Amino acid sequence: MNDYYNLEALTSVIHAALCGVMPEWVALTIECVIVGVIIILLYAVLAVIMIYMERKVCAAFQCRIGPNRVGGKGGLLQVPADVLKILIKEIFTPAHVDKFLYSLAPYLVILASVFTFSCLPWNNGGLILHMNIGIFFVLAASSIGVLGILLAGWSSDSKYTLMGAMRSGAMIISYELSIGISVLTMVVMAGTMDIHELVMGQADGWNIFKGHIPAILAFIIYLIAGNAEANRGPFDLAEAEQELTAGYHTEYSGMHFGFFYLAEYMNLFITAGIATTIFLGGWMPLHVPGLDGFNAVMDYIPGIVWFLGKTFLVIFLLMWIRWTYPRLRIDQILTLEWKYLMPSALVVLVLMTFCTLMGWTF
Amino acid sequence: MSSLKEYLEGYAGGVKSLLTGMGTSMKVFCQKKVTEQYPENRHTTLHIPERHRALLTMPTDEEGNHKCIACGLCQMNCPNGTIKLTTEMRETEEGKKKKVLVKYEYNLGSCMFCMLCVNVCPHDAIKFTNDFENAVFEKDKLVLTLNKK
Amino acid sequence: MKRDEIIKTIEGAELCPGNAGVVKVPLSQFRKVAEGLRYDKESPMDFLREVVGVDWGEEGLGAVYFMESTVTGETAALKVVSDDRETALLPTVSDLWKTALIKEREAYDFLGIRFTGHPDMRRLFLREDWIGWPLRKDYDMKSNPLRLDNEINADITREYRLRKDGTLEGIDHPIFGENDFVVNMGPQHPSTHGALRMRIGLDGEVITKVDPILGYIHRGIEKMNESLTYPQTLGMTDRLDYLSAHQSRHALCMCIEKAAGIEVTERVKYIRTIMDELQRIDSHLLFYSCLVLDMGAMTPFFYGFREREMILDIFEETTGGRLIQHYNLIGGVQDDIHPTFCQKVKEFIAHLRKVIPDYHRIFTGNVIADTRLKGVGMLSKEDAISLGCTGGTGRASGWANDVRKRHPYGLYDKIDFKQITYDGCDSFSRYMVRMDEIMESCRIIEQLIDNIPEGEYRVKTKPIIKLPEGIWTSAVETSRGEFGVMIESHGDKTPYRMHFRSTGLPLVQAMDTMCRGWKFADLIAIGASADFVIPDIDR
Repeated sequence: MNDYYNLEALTSVIHAALCGVMPEWVALTIECVIVGVIIILLYAVLAVIMIYMERKVCAAFQCRIGPNRVGGKGGLLQVPADVLKILIKEIFTPAHVDKFLYSLAPYLVILASVFTFSCLPWNNGGLILHMNIGIFFVLAASSIGVLGILLAGWSSDSKYTLMGAMRSGAMIISYELSIGISVLTMVVMAGTMDIHELVMGQADGWNIFKGHIPAILAFIIYLIAGNAEANRGPFDLAEAEQELTAGYHTEYSGMHFGFFYLAEYMNLFITAGIATTIFLGGWMPLHVPGLDGFNAVMDYIPGIVWFLGKTFLVIFLLMWIRWTYPRLRIDQILTLEWKYLMPSALVVLVLMTFCTLMGWTF
Repeated sequence: MSSLKEYLEGYAGGVKSLLTGMGTSMKVFCQKKVTEQYPENRHTTLHIPERHRALLTMPTDEEGNHKCIACGLCQMNCPNGTIKLTTEMRETEEGKKKKVLVKYEYNLGSCMFCMLCVNVCPHDAIKFTNDFENAVFEKDKLVLTLNKK
Repeated sequence: MKRDEIIKTIEGAELCPGNAGVVKVPLSQFRKVAEGLRYDKESPMDFLREVVGVDWGEEGLGAVYFMESTVTGETAALKVVSDDRETALLPTVSDLWKTALIKEREAYDFLGIRFTGHPDMRRLFLREDWIGWPLRKDYDMKSNPLRLDNEINADITREYRLRKDGTLEGIDHPIFGENDFVVNMGPQHPSTHGALRMRIGLDGEVITKVDPILGYIHRGIEKMNESLTYPQTLGMTDRLDYLSAHQSRHALCMCIEKAAGIEVTERVKYIRTIMDELQRIDSHLLFYSCLVLDMGAMTPFFYGFREREMILDIFEETTGGRLIQHYNLIGGVQDDIHPTFCQKVKEFIAHLRKVIPDYHRIFTGNVIADTRLKGVGMLSKEDAISLGCTGGTGRASGWANDVRKRHPYGLYDKIDFKQITYDGCDSFSRYMVRMDEIMESCRIIEQLIDNIPEGEYRVKTKPIIKLPEGIWTSAVETSRGEFGVMIESHGDKTPYRMHFRSTGLPLVQAMDTMCRGWKFADLIAIGASADFVIPDIDR
């Protein structure tokens, strides 16, 4: 394949240039800071885009037109305006809360999602955290989030938040199993945990095509479990508005609430991003073996466009699900996981192992 | 074995119902939206029926004369004390004493639009109009004098 | 026991004037008569429609009990008076009819009548530290200035018993168990459908008790009506159950017309019936919307509102109001139907028939909705009757309680329609009853809309309406059950006592029966499926 947009060359040139004028540790520090700023900026910008998208998509499902006033006809500036508003809101701490844990919780939640966010393969050479157990790191880092949710619910000293937190804890811990197993299914097929190699391995066709039936099943299981992991409808019972007002973050205000809100949307993005990475080829363009002309044309589209395009497609799918179904009850959610989803995931894992052993994958 | 069959049937049925639901929501996704964009639609699609009760008025003819005879029936019939009439006795040219309306105060804020005042008016001096944009910033401004000239 | 039999056999029993056929029985005989009626062999009076507390001044304080047999459809009404105004005591009937548990509390709250043997004699609507009894005629209106301190709810309730020697004894009962995790829900909560407050005892996520605390939007409409003329009282009914505004007003107009002997024209009956049914569709569409929203499905919520908007437009065109229409008047309706009315209604029904399948596809068949509704929140037929859960909730338990069939009014005896009943007794049946009733209402309207006869839309009435002395009643089937009006007239231009049978009060009471043993999330779904509206409870 031809790679016109590899960032590797650019980054090494920058690194070499920096090393030429200063000691290497200074150069590394500067690079880290720059990358950190880029991550945070990207994080915020993508969250704004997703919130806008959610509003518009949900409106369309509900026969409405959504934001339409602020910033011209499309309401483009609605979300930035809301962000501005939430930034200048008072961060109110109710009496009787456990102050330390109460203030810590939103940061834990946002930390978990920034960690996982940095593992996404944006482009060839655009992978920020590169390690040989990348996908494992993603699973581990995303588990920190539930800690924040539990702490938020516990420290708020309210019955509603406590119930929301307990629900959320029970649910997320259960669904991590399905996520883990479905990711493992793909790891078995690809033979690597390294995110870069996972993507590179899909140059001759995305995993979902290469792994055919078991891969498609694993993809569906991953989407359902990932949706639950991101606390989104129909699994949003941790913050079930109609039952628990706002669940675990009822007592939060201002930017503390904003962190939860942001993390929720970014978890959605991360879920979709990871799905894109391991099933839909990450930044890898669509390649059909044998059609060289077609493949060459596809290579002209930059990797980041592919990545974002596929991710947003998955996000749309998840939004479509969210805005269609009623919410499940806590026992039904656990039934779904333990009686249907996890057994299915295990069956798919065995099936995939078998296919891989027999060489039935492409 | 039957329980396994039940399990699988339940599985398949559930998945099918979920897909039907998604199909339906996608159908609506593609349909025309029903949002009414007030106030942009003021002169286009906004339709306020003629009978809509929004504001009590006292219509006048071209010379500015209203039909009110200050009988006070509307004031008596109002359940909320929304209407307040100020009258005075004046002598007409023939020397008869006649009650005349000085001020007809109507408190929009406490009106519940029950139509009792209009129904009871013997001379159709008052009527409700569909002029509904009556929001004001101060409560005092809701007290309107209807017989202003 | 029949009415004549009571009058013959019970010493001191006498028939009161009015169309309600109220029999006054002496206090000492009351329990015996009530038990006799309840356990009558041929027609047991198993449905206690209403308990209305009244202050009869010199005569004393007392209550009127309206009951009906679900077997034969026979009705009976008893009046009982206690002449001791200081400590008015009546024997409870809450062991015969469960609905008396809450209705006797209402009488206690407003009139200070204590019911001996009632296990939970707390105030129902007013604050626990309220001074005086507002519906008594000698109540001092200035005795309760606005209080800004919080109300502390007692954890203990009191039962009054009469000792053998005639003295009063109070026994305390705790409201919640020792191990209950009590969660307060409302009055500001997204899914209590208004300002309803419930204290919920939980064991983990499982409900052990629901204790409704009412009155957050109580406006004292019954007390206000005692100083309003009859035409003025009409305006209040629209503000009871705002989703049955037209039907409630229909009931009051009918009651006054019956008492005053006013005949309305055929045309008026047609218009009223069509409007009643449109209102029912309107309310059931909102029911659908709220149910799906309470269960977390935001999208179908908008479907219901989209179609409801069309009904409101139709209403507005003819009546001049959308939610609150002020359309029925004594002797007719406010205005003739709009020239485009018939055509618009027909277009709407055609449209509705087209979109209702979508409602079902996205929600009814859905596996999540199914598992959350089916078999959840059981209310047996016996409980439904005993608790007085009329309307869709009762019909979902297999109790055919439609007033339109039981005591036809308007044109309901002339048209062909089915009474929808389900035997599931669960939330899903309650949901399906309403969905089917939408289609049935469409059928009713279609039968009427083309045949509206010519005629007066309002007959002339006297400028000042006075009702003859007596107790007058009427009942209609509103969108959520039997709505009844009771007027006690002493021949003046204002009612002596006007009482409305709330459709929602029994439903709120039934929440405890329906929710016990189910999860907290089910409470929301059960509450939505019971379909109560708070302003109608807090009159």
